[in-house]
Amino acid sequence: MKTRFLPWRSSSRAGVLAVGAILAITAASFSVTAQQRLSKRYPAGQNVRIELRNISGTIIVESWNKNEIRLSATIESKGTNVTPRQINESFVIDVMSDNRGRGDVGDINFKLQVPVNSSIDLETRRGDIKVADIRSGLVRAHVSSEGDIELTNVSALHVIAQNVIGNIFFDGEFSRGGTYEFKSNKGDITIRIPGDSDFRLVAASPARRIALNDFWNNNFKTQDGRKYVGDVGDGRSSVSVTNFSGQITFMRR
Amino acid sequence: MNCETCQELIHDLIDGSINERDEFTLNTHLKECLDCHSVRQDLASIMGFCRTQRGQYEAPPNEQAMWLRIRNVIEAELPGKVVSNTESKPTFLGRLMGRTWELTLPQLAASTVAIVLLVSLSTVVGLRRFGGYGVQPNPPQVEASNINERIFQRQQVIDYWKQRIELNKAHWSAENRAKFERSLRSLDETIQILKDDLNRNPHDDISYEMLTVSMDSQLTLLRDYVDL
Repeated sequence: MKTRFLPWRSSSRAGVLAVGAILAITAASFSVTAQQRLSKRYPAGQNVRIELRNISGTIIVESWNKNEIRLSATIESKGTNVTPRQINESFVIDVMSDNRGRGDVGDINFKLQVPVNSSIDLETRRGDIKVADIRSGLVRAHVSSEGDIELTNVSALHVIAQNVIGNIFFDGEFSRGGTYEFKSNKGDITIRIPGDSDFRLVAASPARRIALNDFWNNNFKTQDGRKYVGDVGDGRSSVSVTNFSGQITFMRR
Repeated sequence: MNCETCQELIHDLIDGSINERDEFTLNTHLKECLDCHSVRQDLASIMGFCRTQRGQYEAPPNEQAMWLRIRNVIEAELPGKVVSNTESKPTFLGRLMGRTWELTLPQLAASTVAIVLLVSLSTVVGLRRFGGYGVQPNPPQVEASNINERIFQRQQVIDYWKQRIELNKAHWSAENRAKFERSLRSLDETIQILKDDLNRNPHDDISYEMLTVSMDSQLTLLRDYVDL
């Protein structure tokens, strides 16, 4: 059996490629390990207020059956500060203030597990926000630019969800006397609520894409299909939905 | 005798056309009134001077006829416009303004009642004709200009923040910049569409409401990113 060796030039080229590949894999593994991971628990009361101001990244907030807050975060850039503060009944994380003067600190993905009655106030410049299983006075989710907002199994007296580009999904209940505001410029807004919900609705969509489905009744007043104003049931809570180019859909839960 | 009557009589006295009774009364007043006495003295001096200078300053034999001749010469030399001005009849307004109104109390009361009735009647007719009672809405042009003014002011604030943010963009990550610019563009497009709608129909409440919402959203976006 004859063995053919590669010419010197070809073998050296292959060697360079192999070394490059090894270096690339090493760099990638370093970048993974360079990500900081943060995991901490904080004692909290039942009605704690959670305030989180992020720059970019995903925020997930879920309830759990404990009177404490568990914070997990993945921090993309080395040296980024995340300093949670507990002030009275508030738990505050302000990435912008913690890193003032550093410019863009990259993505920070948060996951918070909180008592079920916590008030939630979340902001990010970009990134998705997900809140699940909360019963409290306030749930606010604000995305300054792009990002989906998903509020699942939420029952709060005041709910505010706002983004510029991205979908908004609300699945929950409207409380008596509560206010609910959903606003997007480009994205679909879907509201899934129990069939016996009572609320006064003001829904505006210049694109004329409003589907009230089971919640439609003859008392609704509309101005050429761009805006609907009317009561469902006795109109105990106030719901405002504004969407410029996306769809507004009401669904029975 | 009062001073006014006295000074009228002084002219007659100097002209020599006063009667005896008036002369007596005048003289009695002149003895008592120093002012009238000095007027008489002045007039007497003027007349005395005129008499002594009779050769040089002789009065025309018929003064009225002389002024008439002068006026005729001037009128003949001037163009018709000036003549017509001097000859034109006074206007209705001029006559009305120049007139002195003297009304008795019943006439005044009747005039007042008539004016009140006229104003009330015209108000009622006007309200019925132009949309019922209550405060009338602003004319459409005024409303449209107010809306344009408000939009213009808001746009100026947005432009200010846009300028400010341009300086900071260089420090952002590519992804942050891309997402910011896409959101800004999306809102710009929305705002432009709504402005066009409003230009077509300045009374479109929904377009104005949505425009306000979109401009507020853009302002929030800019403010949120300016510190990044």
